[in-house]
Amino acid sequence: MTDSSRPGALRRGTAAALRGALCGALFATTPAAFALPMASEGSWMTMADFNSGGERDIAANHAVTGRDAFGVMATRWKEPVLHGGVHAQHHERESAGLTYTRLVHRWNLPHAQANLWFVGSAGRARGHGWAGERSFWSPAVMADYETTRLYLGAGLEPKRGSGLRHDTAWVRAGFSFYEVDYEQVQPWFIVESKRVRYAGTTRDEVTPLLRLIHRGLFVELGRNREGTQFNLMWAY
Amino acid sequence: MITTRPASIARRLAGALALAAAAALPAAAWAAEAAQSLKLQVNGMVCSFCAQGIEKRLKALPAAGPIFIDLRNKVVAVEPLPGQVLDAQKVASEVREAGYEVVATETVAQTVAQIRAETRAARQGR
Repeated sequence: MTDSSRPGALRRGTAAALRGALCGALFATTPAAFALPMASEGSWMTMADFNSGGERDIAANHAVTGRDAFGVMATRWKEPVLHGGVHAQHHERESAGLTYTRLVHRWNLPHAQANLWFVGSAGRARGHGWAGERSFWSPAVMADYETTRLYLGAGLEPKRGSGLRHDTAWVRAGFSFYEVDYEQVQPWFIVESKRVRYAGTTRDEVTPLLRLIHRGLFVELGRNREGTQFNLMWAY
Repeated sequence: MITTRPASIARRLAGALALAAAAALPAAAWAAEAAQSLKLQVNGMVCSFCAQGIEKRLKALPAAGPIFIDLRNKVVAVEPLPGQVLDAQKVASEVREAGYEVVATETVAQTVAQIRAETRAARQGR
């Protein structure tokens, strides 16, 4: 490991950007993990995603129109390293950057809604085994279909840079236990299947989640082989 | 022989008119005060995040008072503030701007509280 790859060696500018992005929190969320990655025009959306065994993210964006949002995000993840065919250890990685979210198309149906999203991000990443920081870019696409009782979603989020490959593909499906009024809390059961492909290995996760939604607040709690998964989203 | 003078007829007519007017007054006053809420049928409004975006836009309208959102039936109801009039086209436009499709708009002589109570009663009756 070189000195520049150590956490304390972050350049001042990047460190400031990281601090700003984190907004005082330690970790953040992947926009792909949620049904709607942006709020209504003029609103803010804050997302946090904590996986005790894998990835931790935090993100915030502001919708400048009904279809466009700009924001910041930061991610910390553990990249498995293969030794003799087994995941003997992992490398810690971090990234921080800017995001642009675009609602490409929405289908408003009598009893359902379907969306196609684009989430682009770019920034800087650093981590063990890398000599200094490097730039990354990520053009993610995702789609969802939702009724008051059913949710289906899928996404592909490739994150690339010099020597960096961190591609995430996921599908989600679930149902609500019952319909509720807008003022009430709605519980959902969701199953997420996720594949993350790194430069040298692949990791698969299947996570059952309990989702609770109340107005602009969205909380998910689940558990998989890697550990506990906690997602939070707040639109305001 | 009975004679009826014009002055007497006029007095009786005036009395009858006054009586009819007095009887009609409460009804007229009620009609003037009855709330005229707007009900919109909205396609695509399936989640509380959707509803929140619509509610936020409608609350920003100067004439908008209480709002009721029925996710199950995809209905948005808005009542004007006292003495105000809601522009149905403007309300529908705000919902469309929020990203949803308005397929029907109607004005009903009900308050939002009445619409809410009626919706819940219908649900419980099922």
